[in-house]
Amino acid sequence: MSLQMLVNAILLGGLYALMGIGFSLQWGISGIINLSYGAMVVLGSYLSLVVFNALNIDPFISMFFTGFLLFFLGAFIYRFALQPSIKGGIVFTLIITFAIRLIVENIILLVWSADYRTIRLSYAGTNFQFLGTFFPLTKFITFLLAGIIIYLSYQFMTNTKIGKGIQAVALDKEGALAVGVDDQKMYMINFAVGTALAGVTGSLWASIYSFSPHVIDVMIGKVFIIAILGGLGNIWGAAAGGMLLAFAETSGATFLGSQWQEAIGLVIMVLILLFRPHGLIGKKFFG
Amino acid sequence: MMAQNDNKFNINIILIIIAILVFIFLPNFVSGYYVRIFTAIFMYATISQCINLMSGYMGYLPFGHVMFFGIGAYMTAILMGRGLPFIVAIPFASLTAIIVSIILGFPVLRLRGHYFAIATIGMNGAIMSVAQNATEITGGAMGTTFPIILLPPGQVYNYFYLAFLGLMVITTLAMYFIVNSKFGYGIRSIKANEDAANSMGINTTYTKVSAWAIGAFFTSIAGGLYGYWMSFISPDEVFDLMFVTNSIIMMLIGGAGTILGPITGAFIIESLSEFAWSGFMEYHLAALGIATIVIVFFVPKGVVGTIANKIKNRRIALSKKAEVSNG
Repeated sequence: MSLQMLVNAILLGGLYALMGIGFSLQWGISGIINLSYGAMVVLGSYLSLVVFNALNIDPFISMFFTGFLLFFLGAFIYRFALQPSIKGGIVFTLIITFAIRLIVENIILLVWSADYRTIRLSYAGTNFQFLGTFFPLTKFITFLLAGIIIYLSYQFMTNTKIGKGIQAVALDKEGALAVGVDDQKMYMINFAVGTALAGVTGSLWASIYSFSPHVIDVMIGKVFIIAILGGLGNIWGAAAGGMLLAFAETSGATFLGSQWQEAIGLVIMVLILLFRPHGLIGKKFFG
Repeated sequence: MMAQNDNKFNINIILIIIAILVFIFLPNFVSGYYVRIFTAIFMYATISQCINLMSGYMGYLPFGHVMFFGIGAYMTAILMGRGLPFIVAIPFASLTAIIVSIILGFPVLRLRGHYFAIATIGMNGAIMSVAQNATEITGGAMGTTFPIILLPPGQVYNYFYLAFLGLMVITTLAMYFIVNSKFGYGIRSIKANEDAANSMGINTTYTKVSAWAIGAFFTSIAGGLYGYWMSFISPDEVFDLMFVTNSIIMMLIGGAGTILGPITGAFIIESLSEFAWSGFMEYHLAALGIATIVIVFFVPKGVVGTIANKIKNRRIALSKKAEVSNG
């Protein structure tokens, strides 16, 4: 594995890590396998496109806007679609999130059509060189921003009152209720934070790659693998899972051919599920 | 009391036979459009029955069950491409599906809840990748074709209608006998409490794998028939999770854990989706999504379950009334 490949994998891994965290939090803490996650990521990309076309603002700035908007969308979805049905179990939440995905996909198709879109930044082709390897500028900025957001979400989860409440509910629901934590509110905020992270990922994704409604399926496959690799509800675990998936895909594409890229990730996921069901990091729950 | 029950049982059997006879002769009276819709309904009802056995009765949600549909379709296509007739190709295809389900079943059925659902999705994706990339055998991502049937199209579609009707009836009968057998009680006990079932002496591993293999068998036949019906298949199409998602929704709407639930659900959802296609062409995905959410909210026990509950409550009320008037 050459140094350039290593750098490519790390730069891609930052984005994967950010993408996996929201999904992992929603699954591990709110207990919802969110099949609409991919649609939310792509929706974030399109919102950035709108802002870029209208005001000529980079996705690196408009990501705050998409995150903000999707936070409220996530809270709305949890409050009015998921909270009433969560006692029905896994079947109901899977079906409802799949239905939400259909609705969002349909809206995207109606407003922006099925064509691939790109955001062309003026400095998209710029590279800089370090130790004989090329760093594409946009990918480097994306990696830095992803790292900062991951760090901030970790701080939010461990050092704020709401974050501590969310952890308390995740560890012991009855205990948290007994000391006055509103569990449904915590689940809702957690779900909304996850959706906001999906939107931010979408904005960052749009600054590098092209996107269309077809990307939704690819995204949902990847977030499953990342969340399983890292263990559910664990921020650093999901970040490690994202990095690992990026390495596996990059090296697999080199040694076996890029058409096997998706299969490699899925096979790794199934093996992890069978042999280390709590993820590679290995703790049963974070806290 | 006993005689009354026997009587009712006979009436049900007669009603079902009449319904089957009506459906056998239906294509002679309606247009090809409706024949196509009914064929799709029968196909979905078959898949939904298999998922009902796994999820409704056993409590394991096989989200990637569509892999057997795809395996059935692809094996049939490959064998027919080698010159075998359909009747010979189908048993081999379903045998392949059974073997795959047993090999995958032993490790993956140790997982429970969420993890099982996700692992099956992963396996489906991996098998789809193989179908996409083994271009010499499967035709790759471009898809593959079936031999053309040299008969007038209307007649061909009627044959497929009858074949899917037959498959649905056989699957439903099989499920009825399985669920009411000793093996079926084993399946239900796994849903109630797997560890307790195990300690009661039920071989849960064997029961789970067998149930999955039964589901794989019927689903792969449906897949083979579907491929021959469409005469062209591609990996994106026959390994599409939409098939399973639709079937799960049908099972929920009709009533999970009931024999007639999946069939009822298939009729309701497929007519709704057909209506969405013809009524709101551009919004049909959203219409389907909204309809799903509304139905899940308002009939969470499914149509058959809700009606059965009502009848039961009424009977209890009636017997109480009788007691009061007698006493």
